[in-house]
Amino acid sequence: MFLLEAPLVARREVARGMFVLSLEAPQIANSVRAGQFVNLGWSPGPLLRRPFSVYRTEGDRIEVILKAVGAGTAQLLAMTARDTISCLGPLGHGFDLPAGPRSVALVSGGLGVAPMPLAAREARAAGISVTWVHGARSVDELCSEADGDEVIWATDDGSRGFAGTAVSAVPETDIVLACGPNRMLAAVAMRWPDAQVAVETYMGCGTGVCLGCAVPLERGGYDRACKEGPVYRAADIDWSVLPAHLPYAISA
Amino acid sequence: MTVEMAVEVGELRLRGPVLAASGTFGYGTEVPLLERRALGAMVSKGIFLRPRAGTPPPRIVETPSGMLNAIGLQGPGVEGLIRDYAPQWAQWDFPVLVNINGETAAEYGELAARLDGVPGVAGFEINISCPNVEQGGLYFGNDPRAAAAVTEAVRKRTDLPVWVKLTPMVTDIGVIARACEAAGADALSAINTFVGMSIDLNTRQPRLSFRTGGLSGPAIRPLAVHLAHQAARAVSIPVIGIGGIMGAEDALEFLVAGCAAVQVGTATFVNPNAIAGVHDGIAAYLASHGFASLAELPRYLPRD
Repeated sequence: MFLLEAPLVARREVARGMFVLSLEAPQIANSVRAGQFVNLGWSPGPLLRRPFSVYRTEGDRIEVILKAVGAGTAQLLAMTARDTISCLGPLGHGFDLPAGPRSVALVSGGLGVAPMPLAAREARAAGISVTWVHGARSVDELCSEADGDEVIWATDDGSRGFAGTAVSAVPETDIVLACGPNRMLAAVAMRWPDAQVAVETYMGCGTGVCLGCAVPLERGGYDRACKEGPVYRAADIDWSVLPAHLPYAISA
Repeated sequence: MTVEMAVEVGELRLRGPVLAASGTFGYGTEVPLLERRALGAMVSKGIFLRPRAGTPPPRIVETPSGMLNAIGLQGPGVEGLIRDYAPQWAQWDFPVLVNINGETAAEYGELAARLDGVPGVAGFEINISCPNVEQGGLYFGNDPRAAAAVTEAVRKRTDLPVWVKLTPMVTDIGVIARACEAAGADALSAINTFVGMSIDLNTRQPRLSFRTGGLSGPAIRPLAVHLAHQAARAVSIPVIGIGGIMGAEDALEFLVAGCAAVQVGTATFVNPNAIAGVHDGIAAYLASHGFASLAELPRYLPRD
């Protein structure tokens, strides 16, 4: 875990109102695994840090993806090159790509695309073929960047690709990794109990001390999205207690 | 110039005046970045006799310059604490006080008796912001007799330092402070979080599943400085100031207002090394104002 003042080096728009920020954070770029996150703080900004999955890395840079959903993310998007962002990470327990499977479906909804490029990279390195399934409400909300041997688009309104949810567009694969709104992940759990899902919760510290990011477990009790998570076996989560109304990227 | 930062809180000598507040530091074993050199002491996450699962999510929400939390004192229970954490504390170069909780005064006493003599346990901080099941859920901390009863129940079972963490949700904090002092407290921690509420206008429901939560952070700082000051004026035992300390100047406000030491909480969530920054900033202030030690810092404590 590192605490860095990371200069903002680049920004690009990948869907309507959805941006990728590129930060210079060498120690994090060199150690982060798919599904792990960074906890970012900026000034002027909110009091608490906000968690972001690492989207991609390139050399000494990490990328995060966000939408302006509130005052905090608007402040983040107003920053210009060389402004610094306080960056704590890498945090959490990411995806596990076991030996054996030959194919993986990376299933994402909206900003849930965040951990998938790193997952694609790790899958490919493990010799696993990648089916990229990405859904959103409509074509202009789809993240335009995809990385798979096969790419499937899904939109609720049918404006691109499969008309329906990303989950219902997934073909047969050996394993499934998913990220998106909790409602979507609950559907993933119904269909593939062994899928690995990256959940989002409200988060305080990101380091395991505040117990604010409680994830309700099927076996009873809670553990911490920031420490044991944010990636879980889908059927291990008690989806009836995890708030379903949280969109992915409640952040700020 | 090196400034002497050591302080005495009752019989406990601390290497510095900046302590980690209960619930913001876990059991001290989590955050690898933390610069421990400046830590005066740690107060553990609150513990009950038995394990507790805690409240369902959402447990925290950010509010203007602050946060609400309702964790529900999730924890392993006293036996888990003794097994998993106390042995580590015994190796550390700063004292660890255990924040203790109960539903009856007798439970607090039992906890103190069980932990007394366990290597690694240097003292107790009593959380009196718990509902008293023997009095229909009235909070111990809102009633001077109940606060005194809990303090006495703990005092009788241990010779280790006993601190009482006061709640701000009272009419006159001085009355509670004096009751705890008379019942044998060695020091007072002032203050715990304020009870607050935040509503989600999309769901038209409280944002926290528990409905209410404890408000912390800079939003409460002026309220906390005032209450800590009132407590300090009411008693002759040391008062440890708590409430929204983010930097050294915030801590210095509490110290000048009559506190012997301070606890830092929410700031640690934002910056795992916040305590070291507060400590170093206090030392720099003292040096630049010509004080050779923290003890020389003038206190504003009119006795009118």
